[in-house]
Amino acid sequence: MDPREFDVIILGGGVVGAGTMRDCAMRGLRALLIERADIATGASGRNHGLLHSGARYAVNDPESAAECIVENQILRRIAAHCIEPTDGLFISLPEDDLSYQNTFVEACRKAGIGAEIIDPQLARQLEPSVNPDLIGAVRVPDASVDPFRLCASNMLDAKLRGAQVRLRTAVTGFIREGDTIRGVHTRNVQTGREVDYYAPVVVNACGVWGQEIAQMAGVQVGMYPSKGALLIFAHRVNNMVINRCRKPSNADILVPGDTVCIIGTTSTRIPLENCHKVSVTPDEVTLLVTEGAKLSPALSETRILRAFAGVRPLVSDDNDPTGRNISRGIVCLDHETRDGLKGFVTITGGKLTTYRQMAEQATDVVCRKLGVDKACETATTPLIGSAGRSYEEVAREIWEAPSTAQKAATARLGSVVSEMPKRSRQDEELVCECEEVPVWEVNNAFERMGVSSLTDLRRRTRVGMGTCQGEFCACRAAGLLAKAQDCAERERADLLKFMGERWKGNYPIGWGESLREAEYTQWVYKHVLGL
Amino acid sequence: MRFDTVIIGGGLAGLVAGISLQQAGRSTAIVSTGQNALHFFSGSFESMKEAPERLTALFAGAGIRVHYNPGVRLTPLGTFREAELSLEDISLFPEAKFADKALIACVPGYLDFFSAFLAEGLEKQGIQCRLCSLDLPEELQEGSVELRSVQLARLVDRDWKKIVQQIRLLIKDEDAVVLPQLCGLEDTSVPERLRQEIPARVVFAGTMPPSIPGIRTQRLLKRRYEVLGGTYLTGDEALDAQVEGNKIRSVRTHNLDAHALEASHFILASGGFFSKGLRSNPFRVWEPVFGVDVDFDEDRNAWYNEEFAGDQPYMKYGVKTDAALHLLVGGQPRENLYAIGSVLGATRPELGSGAGLAIRSAFLAVDEILKTV
Repeated sequence: MDPREFDVIILGGGVVGAGTMRDCAMRGLRALLIERADIATGASGRNHGLLHSGARYAVNDPESAAECIVENQILRRIAAHCIEPTDGLFISLPEDDLSYQNTFVEACRKAGIGAEIIDPQLARQLEPSVNPDLIGAVRVPDASVDPFRLCASNMLDAKLRGAQVRLRTAVTGFIREGDTIRGVHTRNVQTGREVDYYAPVVVNACGVWGQEIAQMAGVQVGMYPSKGALLIFAHRVNNMVINRCRKPSNADILVPGDTVCIIGTTSTRIPLENCHKVSVTPDEVTLLVTEGAKLSPALSETRILRAFAGVRPLVSDDNDPTGRNISRGIVCLDHETRDGLKGFVTITGGKLTTYRQMAEQATDVVCRKLGVDKACETATTPLIGSAGRSYEEVAREIWEAPSTAQKAATARLGSVVSEMPKRSRQDEELVCECEEVPVWEVNNAFERMGVSSLTDLRRRTRVGMGTCQGEFCACRAAGLLAKAQDCAERERADLLKFMGERWKGNYPIGWGESLREAEYTQWVYKHVLGL
Repeated sequence: MRFDTVIIGGGLAGLVAGISLQQAGRSTAIVSTGQNALHFFSGSFESMKEAPERLTALFAGAGIRVHYNPGVRLTPLGTFREAELSLEDISLFPEAKFADKALIACVPGYLDFFSAFLAEGLEKQGIQCRLCSLDLPEELQEGSVELRSVQLARLVDRDWKKIVQQIRLLIKDEDAVVLPQLCGLEDTSVPERLRQEIPARVVFAGTMPPSIPGIRTQRLLKRRYEVLGGTYLTGDEALDAQVEGNKIRSVRTHNLDAHALEASHFILASGGFFSKGLRSNPFRVWEPVFGVDVDFDEDRNAWYNEEFAGDQPYMKYGVKTDAALHLLVGGQPRENLYAIGSVLGATRPELGSGAGLAIRSAFLAVDEILKTV
């Protein structure tokens, strides 16, 4: 068989694309995923890392609330190593209408979300960082999820089942015969190599960029690009997700994740052509800090690590200027029935939390088109890394008394660590001290996870995400990458690009400790290292 | 406690000023938080285009040998930068192609020495490179320890003869050997001994901070200062000052609490943002001890260059001074308060930047103080 022929081609390397690829692979399809940049570069990697209970949408968007809670429960089982079951609080502050609490709890109940009104005193005991002025609290099953890990695990799992991935490969056009899509023209953005791939079905899972891709295929999908700005704090001040118990608004969710916490978001409609280069303005920083401190006053004293923004792939359906009222529900379009274009499916809308359900719906359509009769098993089959045991158990199987660094690496990789070759002392050296990433984990990412740059490495290992923002680890990792790829010249340029990318998220919050760190980084890289 | 001069900051600028004043018979104290820019010193004196006798004599007195050979130095990432005055163990070359063949020796598992970048950088200059690994001392082969520069330098200083033996076995026809700059911390003679015993040109290439030549320089200068009778208060922090008219009367520190440091003169050598000589919040930049005038942009959007590689405006911010380096408050000079080193930012471009700024401004302020009786 021609190596360019597949059963299905999936466009987009976000969590929905990766999930769809895995689902297709599990149903026995020969799947190819094509991604223009790297995994989780769009909204999949630019969000709170919140596994919604659905409570946030219960009042205004009951359909997505119900989708969220179902998936929330499934992902705790199948993606355990990507999820931290923190639970969440919806707090009412003195300026909030406490009667909204009843509306909220009732809506949660209807959607099937366990929401329990608790005493504000109890809330303070459960979550000591919460604003002590709170007048009401509701406990819900929110959780924290590492979206990079989730995306990478789906991709690795699918690859082990025979699916193929082409990263840094852009779709330049569709191969069309009459009213049928037969495949795609692609170009590797690094090498310039052009290849055509063929499949009877192509799935558009490109998020907000899905509109351009659909247009290229000759159909219309109206996206409503909505920018959300977020701030990462250098410490984890809270252990539970903290939300405001009111209609969804700006900067009213604080999510703990790993060693940090993230406040967000804003919601601003932006032109589609600006989706590639979203940045955070000083006004947005001020808003996020001010509103965030209402959830947890400690935030006003906590160092901000960086600012970033993502673009929600909302699907346009009215003229709501904020996008807050557009449903977060799943949109799965079979363009054959909708537009008369055969072999083309768009999966969009939805949320990080509902990615698996989105993948299932898209794969169902693909299977129907291909005449494959095999049920979806992703709701019950754990992802690679989540096979049954806790990361502590896995770490103890390998190391008698695992260090915090060994535990951290095992937490990131999950049960897959026990299948890796034995590590030497040199392999245990730390590349990144902030996130405790050892050499062997970096090498694993090089060997198995399709890393070609430091930014790719960051998404898979957290190298450079910590308090030093790459000041020390970027150089070390670059040294390893230069050796692994045997190309120091390209790596030198990559290092500069990586530091530039870190700086883009640092300067909007460049004061106090962050400015100290930035000045040090400038001296080290320019004057000492000679970059 | 009363001194002739109290110096806030124990980095290069503060120590050069302190040693000069002690040599001139003045009694001084240095208040140091413990960290300063010498800890990431490249070993070459930034913006020193000359080698003033006054400086080389001061360094020689401290046991620090420098050399002046305008040319280029090798950076840790394998590029070359112009350099003139440097510590003796920093090699300066008239041109980047300093050898035909180089042996680059790495320490296995040590991630802060960038052999792949060095090799690529040297090859680009037409220097053929070969990489080799040095055996680790036994105590580093087992157990979970982080290999960082200071720890390795201690072992190299102790076991330098073993390094020489290994290199002698590894070297073939190379005319240069590139070693990580991990020696001369405890025993300052080691860099020179390695050069004498290894049968090729030995070039030390820098590592990630902390910088071994930087820490060595800091230690030797501090020792010299103390031998001359200076009082170096390590791990203390200046909090605020008592002012009388246009003069500073005393400075209160964290550790000395009620016993304020009184002096006839005060020198602010507290460094830039990193050293906390300058502080910032979203709205302003200020100098925390004396509350003196600071030159900065009111609009925070103007503080940054969006490009990492570009010049960063905030790094130019610094305290305002008159011609004699007196600090200003509300535009009025404080008669007995001087600023030296990085706390000046780029407000005095004629004095240079980095190490050059530290040294020139220190001598200038010392001369002003010595004019007084």
